[in-house]
Amino acid sequence: MLQFVATGVVFGSILAVTASGLSLVYAILKLTNFAHGDMVTFGAYVALFLNLALGLDVWWTLPLAFIAGALLAVALDGLVWAPMRRRGAGTVAMMIASIGVALALRNALVFLFGADTTRFDMPVQPKVPLGSLPVMMSADDWEVIVAAAVAILGLHLLLTRTAIGRAMRALSDNAALAWVSGVDVDRVIRWTWIVGGGLAGAGGVLYGMTQPFNTNMGWFLLLPIFAAIIVGGIGNPYGAILGGLLIGVAQEVSVAVLPTQYRLAVGFVVMILVLLVYPRGLLGQRSLS
Amino acid sequence: MSGLLAGLVAYLASFLTNATLYVLFVVGLNLQYGTTGLVNFGHVAFLAIGAYTAVLLGVHGVPILFATAAGVAVSAVFGVLLAFPALRLRDDYLAIVTIGFAEVLRTVVNNVQFTGGPQGIYGYAVPLRDLGLGYQAWQWLFLALVVALTALAFALTEYVVRSPYGRVLKAIREDQEVAVALGKNIVGYKVASFALGAGVAGLAGALLAYYYGAINPHNFEAIVTFEAWIIMVLGGTGRNWGAVLGALIYFGLYSATARYAMSGVGAIAADRLAALRIVAIGVLLVVLMIYRPQGILGRKEDLGLER
Repeated sequence: MLQFVATGVVFGSILAVTASGLSLVYAILKLTNFAHGDMVTFGAYVALFLNLALGLDVWWTLPLAFIAGALLAVALDGLVWAPMRRRGAGTVAMMIASIGVALALRNALVFLFGADTTRFDMPVQPKVPLGSLPVMMSADDWEVIVAAAVAILGLHLLLTRTAIGRAMRALSDNAALAWVSGVDVDRVIRWTWIVGGGLAGAGGVLYGMTQPFNTNMGWFLLLPIFAAIIVGGIGNPYGAILGGLLIGVAQEVSVAVLPTQYRLAVGFVVMILVLLVYPRGLLGQRSLS
Repeated sequence: MSGLLAGLVAYLASFLTNATLYVLFVVGLNLQYGTTGLVNFGHVAFLAIGAYTAVLLGVHGVPILFATAAGVAVSAVFGVLLAFPALRLRDDYLAIVTIGFAEVLRTVVNNVQFTGGPQGIYGYAVPLRDLGLGYQAWQWLFLALVVALTALAFALTEYVVRSPYGRVLKAIREDQEVAVALGKNIVGYKVASFALGAGVAGLAGALLAYYYGAINPHNFEAIVTFEAWIIMVLGGTGRNWGAVLGALIYFGLYSATARYAMSGVGAIAADRLAALRIVAIGVLLVVLMIYRPQGILGRKEDLGLER
């Protein structure tokens, strides 16, 4: 049982990283981005290319995948989201467009890399017992948790200690007021995508370090990621972190009683149950501050 | 020469049947999104429920007519069950809940015994097949059946949309608060509209199952939902004729590129070309949403896109 919790914490940390980025994008842009999962996949495949074609160590690909994810997100904003904002598109139109982005991005990756399951070239590490507990963890498992914690701490410091972070919070609380007070909205949006896309890209690498993956990984991650942000309170990155850990642990613990194929369904059911009891999620929405 | 012609005629029958089945499927979606503004990203779930219900009942000896009707009814009931918790929430929650429901349903169908698991079900009875006709003649007869039922659903939803009931649905799409102020039970209207759309999709599912002659979870992947969205958005959201136009354009383009996608071009393998085709679908959806979110026949003022 404890073993499932430990595996769940590893998976939950990855969910927390990817979900906090999605939630941040929602908070600032009011965009429910169905392409977020495929941005995670993109990060993993950038790392795969650097790792297999250029022989780079996977850990070095992590910052590079962050940068690649950020660049992709900023490029997509220029191509898709900025024109839609200029035309005054509503949330539903943006949501439908994000489905188009998701399909295009995922299948561009299939075109380039094929749909077969693949993995990073990295040494297999033995799982060692954790003290006297009946839990086996590899060094990579620990490193994934630490990397996720560092990323989340970075997000927290950005939001609370920097000017751009304060501007983000202002914009998410009251866009009109922030604009009138002289917040440079375009700059905040650019940084939102840099952070959101970067966290997605890095999250993809972390996922690839824990298991083999294919071009569908982002699609399968999308449900638990959405479950995480909804459970935590949509638009609240801190809630997304809590939600990510909860969903991650719930999914893995379910393996103790249910066939593993139902893992995805468990995250979904937890989400529905939370929505029925707390329609605004556990930590409420729109509270970046 | 006559062989070529026969091949062309058979191809035409399958083209028209596929396109008509999608028109029917999209008519259901159009009622939910185009008329009432409910964002259903899991429409394929109702296609699957209709298909599996009809086929499983048929296998267990229920006459085809009743099995098909049950497929419609069970889809509609699932529509109600899904809509109730989700419709009290906002647009984006409904989108996420429906997409999740479709994926979870497919996982379940893939992993339980009675649906045949990944192999699915095949060799079941299909309508009009026991009349002693050849396959070709049956194809055209079945097409006539599909067209007739689609026309029926088409007329029914047109009637609903134009009725006082339909005006309330549009009012909900335009401004929910106004409908509330007029004393309308919004949740009731929304649930009924969602269930009706789900029922129409269930009928499409049952007919699809009869046409394919075999079904498995692979037929009900999320891409099917998004194909329906493309067809609806392309032709014109909120317009049933838009579904017809969208389906003809979509399947026209699809057929035009199918020959290359099957065989591969030069060094590019078939599966990669198939991926490229979905890239094109995605780009088309994005371009439409940026430049003409109401589609070819749609009217912008008809659409709750500004929310």
